[in-house]
Amino acid sequence: MIDEMRLKILTEGAKYDVSCSSSGSKRKNEGGMGNGYAAGCCHSFTPDGRCISLLKILMSNNCIYNCKYCPNRLDADVRRVSATPEEIAQLTIDFYKRNYIEGLFLSSAVEKSPNDTMERLVRTVKLLRTQYRFHGYIHLKGIPRADEALIREAASYADRMSYNIELPSEASLKLLAPQKSKESLLLPMKQLAREKAVFREEKRKGLFLPAGQTTQMIVGASPEPDGQIVRLTQSLYRNMGLKRVYYSSYVPVVHDSLLPDLPAGQLREHRLYQADWLLRFYGFTAEEIAPENENLPLDLDPKCAWALRNMHLFPVEVNRAPLEMLLRVPGIGGRSAQKILEARRYTKLGFEHLARMRVVLKRARHFITANGKFYGAENETAVRGLLTAGEKNENAEQLSLFGTSETALSALTGEL
Amino acid sequence: MIYFTDGTAESFLTAFWLAFKDGESYITSTQKQLSLGQKTVFVAADGEKAERARKRLLSFDKNCMDDLSLLLRSGQENREQIANRYLHLLAEKKEPVSKMFAEEAVTEATECIRRVTFEIHRLHGFVRFMETASGALYSPLSPDNDVVDLLVPHFRARLTEYPFVLHDVKRKKAAVYDGKNTFLAPLEQANIILSADEKGWQELWQRYYKSVNIPERERLKQMRGYMPVRYWKFMPEFDSF
Repeated sequence: MIDEMRLKILTEGAKYDVSCSSSGSKRKNEGGMGNGYAAGCCHSFTPDGRCISLLKILMSNNCIYNCKYCPNRLDADVRRVSATPEEIAQLTIDFYKRNYIEGLFLSSAVEKSPNDTMERLVRTVKLLRTQYRFHGYIHLKGIPRADEALIREAASYADRMSYNIELPSEASLKLLAPQKSKESLLLPMKQLAREKAVFREEKRKGLFLPAGQTTQMIVGASPEPDGQIVRLTQSLYRNMGLKRVYYSSYVPVVHDSLLPDLPAGQLREHRLYQADWLLRFYGFTAEEIAPENENLPLDLDPKCAWALRNMHLFPVEVNRAPLEMLLRVPGIGGRSAQKILEARRYTKLGFEHLARMRVVLKRARHFITANGKFYGAENETAVRGLLTAGEKNENAEQLSLFGTSETALSALTGEL
Repeated sequence: MIYFTDGTAESFLTAFWLAFKDGESYITSTQKQLSLGQKTVFVAADGEKAERARKRLLSFDKNCMDDLSLLLRSGQENREQIANRYLHLLAEKKEPVSKMFAEEAVTEATECIRRVTFEIHRLHGFVRFMETASGALYSPLSPDNDVVDLLVPHFRARLTEYPFVLHDVKRKKAAVYDGKNTFLAPLEQANIILSADEKGWQELWQRYYKSVNIPERERLKQMRGYMPVRYWKFMPEFDSF
């Protein structure tokens, strides 16, 4: 059993990795313990509002690299510890058995060399899969500059792998993480994407990264504007076939003259995630979301901002608008859009129906007509005023017309 | 007319059959709903009437009995009435109504079902097993809805080699997997002897939970939204809070 002191240090070293998802894998339990849960599963939530799905831990925090932003960088005066593959495997099994976790998210500092470290990570997941017969979710962090053969072997055991691109531009990477290069991060991503495609094409037996690849970048430690970040994200989805791009708003755990002293706002991170959703689920392009050299507005969500720039397209009639257009209405999400499509096959929808269907109308009413009726504000300026933050009370007043509580509605749909 | 049922599906379907011609009917299994001046009737399950109702409803929508089963598991006191209104609409329209979201009865039923299935999903994550001295796993829980037996397939698939007990302490019953078969049994109180290592693993989990948090980014409201406080009492990570 690993001791509490090392568990603490190795967890604290891993916790700034934001990826928590355990979705995308349908791995079967082939004798032994565990299986995949395609929808993903949250097991607990910490006071910072984040979910615990996987046991997120480092093998070692003893690093030969000196990335400026990292609490475990070579120069840092911290206690150095590591865990053995056995200890990690045992911890995973006993936590999983008690249903504390959905699987393992294993990462490591680069201890001696990239190959040596990657080899230890692979040995651990292999131990879990073969000796412990563990079929639960494994997310493995790739170590840049490790050999192709090791990467391939890792992918044959893991459900998901990730190489963090760390910063949104090559220039920032050079400045803040001089020992990692753009190539050292992108080449293994390309290798995995290529090999997964081959694996699929040849219909080989077994699994090869069923949950694909993800990446993460720190926002606010370097000067790239959101427009550039959203474009980078789009190209990662299109060219690398990534499943998710995560953003981590910068928290100053390290003081360095090259780094800002203040944390980046969480609202900025939130807006980037909203933009990311628009790319993945709502059919938007990066170019529609933000100009390259600008940040996303903080007082409006990016869909509202887009709609206000495109008022000539609105209002749309909910009884006729195609799905793609419904999805572009501020306040209407995937589930509401689907419900509208279903319900309008049976009856002509008025605002009273929409309210009854729990479609959130606070923002949507400015952009739709229902059965020809329009309940939005008169002009763009008024709409903008009502949509921007700080006008909540007035909106609640107007909505009571439909006899539904606005907060209850947004709680139900989970729309922010 | 108020129809009282004993909470079972058979009794509900009997009441539904009787109430259908009634127009303004109310079906409930909760005595609290008794109101003065309303005629009331207690409905015992009648196999024949229930079967006729079931057949009729299934001829309109082959999935409606699955909906009913989930509705009757709800912890909401008006669950029978929600089911009554939903199935009444089905019987009127004589075609599947589950997507007619503009109908209040459908929205109500959909939301009620969603609360039940969402809690099942949540509990897939929030259940906490303790290892007993025999190696079997034990988890106490008190879900809002009557769902312990519906949790079994999920855990059985991943913990095939471990017998386990999911104990609904509120409803005093347990869903049991004995390593081979699964069954539901009444269970008042369980006397558990923990394995020698159990406490040690719980302490490691508590340590992990504390270490993975980022205190600079506290967002308690969000945390409670995702994991309501009523689920905390069976989770070892909150023992020391």
